Amino acid sequence: MSTTTPSPAVDIARRVTQHKLFWPVVALLVLLVAAGVRSPGFLSVTVQDGHLFGQVIDIMRGAATPLLLALGMALVIATGGIDLSVGAVMAISLAVSLEYLDASSSAGEPATAVVAVALGVAVALVLGLFNGFMVTVLGIQPFIATMILMVAGRGIAMLITKGQITTVTAPPFKHIGSGFFLGLPMPVIIAAVAFVVVVLVVRRTALGMLLESIGINREASRLAGVQARNVTWFAYAVSGLLAGLAGLVYGAPTMAADANNIGLMKEMDAIMCVVLGGTSLAGGKFYMGGTVVGALILTTIERVVIIFHIPSQLTPLFKAVVIIAVCIAQSPVLLQKINMSRLRRASRRQAEIANQEVPA
Amino acid sequence: MTTVTAPRTPSTTPTWKKVLRRASDRRYMPVAGSVLTLVLMLVIGEMRYGGSNGFVTPRLLSNLLVDNSYLLVLAIGMTFVIITGGIDLSVGAVVALTGLVIATLLPMGLPLPVVLLVAVLIGSVMGLIIGVMVQYFHIQPFIASLGVMFLARGLANAVSVNSLGIDHPGFSALVSWNISVGEKSQQFKLNAAGLIALVLLAVAFYLLHYSRFGRTVYGVGVGDGGNAIDLMGLRTGRTVLWVYVISGTCAGIAGILFAMYTKSGFNLTGIGMELDAIAAVVIGGTILTGGGGYILGTAVGVAVYGLIQVLISREGLGEAWWTKIFIGVILLAFVILQRFLTARRR
Repeated sequence: MSTTTPSPAVDIARRVTQHKLFWPVVALLVLLVAAGVRSPGFLSVTVQDGHLFGQVIDIMRGAATPLLLALGMALVIATGGIDLSVGAVMAISLAVSLEYLDASSSAGEPATAVVAVALGVAVALVLGLFNGFMVTVLGIQPFIATMILMVAGRGIAMLITKGQITTVTAPPFKHIGSGFFLGLPMPVIIAAVAFVVVVLVVRRTALGMLLESIGINREASRLAGVQARNVTWFAYAVSGLLAGLAGLVYGAPTMAADANNIGLMKEMDAIMCVVLGGTSLAGGKFYMGGTVVGALILTTIERVVIIFHIPSQLTPLFKAVVIIAVCIAQSPVLLQKINMSRLRRASRRQAEIANQEVPA
Repeated sequence: MTTVTAPRTPSTTPTWKKVLRRASDRRYMPVAGSVLTLVLMLVIGEMRYGGSNGFVTPRLLSNLLVDNSYLLVLAIGMTFVIITGGIDLSVGAVVALTGLVIATLLPMGLPLPVVLLVAVLIGSVMGLIIGVMVQYFHIQPFIASLGVMFLARGLANAVSVNSLGIDHPGFSALVSWNISVGEKSQQFKLNAAGLIALVLLAVAFYLLHYSRFGRTVYGVGVGDGGNAIDLMGLRTGRTVLWVYVISGTCAGIAGILFAMYTKSGFNLTGIGMELDAIAAVVIGGTILTGGGGYILGTAVGVAVYGLIQVLISREGLGEAWWTKIFIGVILLAFVILQRFLTARRR
């Protein structure tokens, strides 16, 4: 009967290939290796003035904004919702912060920068709470509830900047976008801290499980005593807050509040990161580690396009290929078909063995 | 239940009561709300800007149709998709792609009908890709159409990153063709784009409300895995696939109409146009979770959408941000109204 039980190596291989993160990680590695082969210095990291430099570091820096958005988005998606407003929230929080700095007489002081950051993030938190209010208290579908702010939000950001592109010079504020800490770019540190905090909060407490239970069956979890309304509201608040932070990190290097373009279509990137990370848009189980992989894939695509000297406007094409390929590879239908054919092959083999044994 | 209901004698109830009862049917309430808003906006417009010529004139109505014909076509396709409980985010990018394809193929000397057919088919193929992903691979419509949105936008960028003007005698003739009735402010002018949109509206109305396919579209959207429609004797089959093909085809046609409107193709057109279409459908009373909605409601939704822009420009709030904020506010009001109505039904 040794033929029916697979060897441990095969068993491990099967467990690895069926892991949620298998295809996303494969996609990421393929991209990195392709870039490494094309441009040999791609994977090397050098130290200059105590700061780390290199393409990989650039990818991490680029991944910080989508990751910040995707962390909140993953929580919202876990509850079975979606937050389309994050791009507009980015624009609003940056507009608020820069308008404050512009109006302040001491824009160069670190204290002023701290107040500006706090203001921007606070406004974003309020917007997140507003989304949560519409979804939980008014019971509006998340897609349309957050679409309202997505449409109106850009108008609000323009109203704040009075239709101008506000630019200010404030070195302490700029530091959060282009500075370094412990040799790593500041955005990477901020994203890493946010990741650790969110993971600790959702995985070291019951909160993550509650979010998943709401996503799987809201009514059943409510009957089981889960405060579905408050937990869902919390997810939208976190999403808004992190979107505000992302807006500041994204806009700080240029210090220009362009209400029309800051964060445009970033909500789609964030959703893509979450989905590439293996979280289903239907809600329920969510994967924070996968979300990081998703954010890295997204940024690596953008970088690889440059490495291969492909016109950068073709980036969407590669995003499309990766997203469609990973989704189809992850789709339960395909897995089922593969398993079916594997089973059929196994049973055919057994039948053959049996046929050979019978005459003897 | 001890109350005895008196035998009903329908003949004695006056006609207006019957009409009222029909109109107050809860199913029509969201649409009734949209119609009411439209009327209210027209009345406000008449009161504020009426003057000697009047605000609500045949010219206003024809302009509303002509200026928003591409949006109407997009919203018609989107209505089918949303009734099945899906979403199609790719339509804006498809509009950009078809516009550029027209602007590239016409100077090559290809005959106009062939070019237009190719443009429509590009839309259909984009829809087909989404449909296959949703129907056969069970990928969520949101992410499937997001993938195709990137695909169409990427292809559009590959065609050209410049705004290409369309200068072709046949195309120009098509653009300038129109039927006109009346004079000056009483003039009702219907151009080819408006006519195409109206014909599509009629076809979609028939298809959705009077055909087997239409019933199945509603049945799929109820969200019980197709049990109810199976019991009705309808077959789900490839309905889901087809609604995306319809939406994609509509996006292709809308791309032609938008190219006619702007007489050019540009790879950055249509960013966020899918949201305009979705907003118009929602204002028109279609429920995003699927299973309910009316194609004529969508037409009213598009009219409300267009009228907001007319009113804001007449009010002198020329800045683009007011349009966005007002659309957000109107959307909010509608969604709360819808929510209120559907909550009472339960």
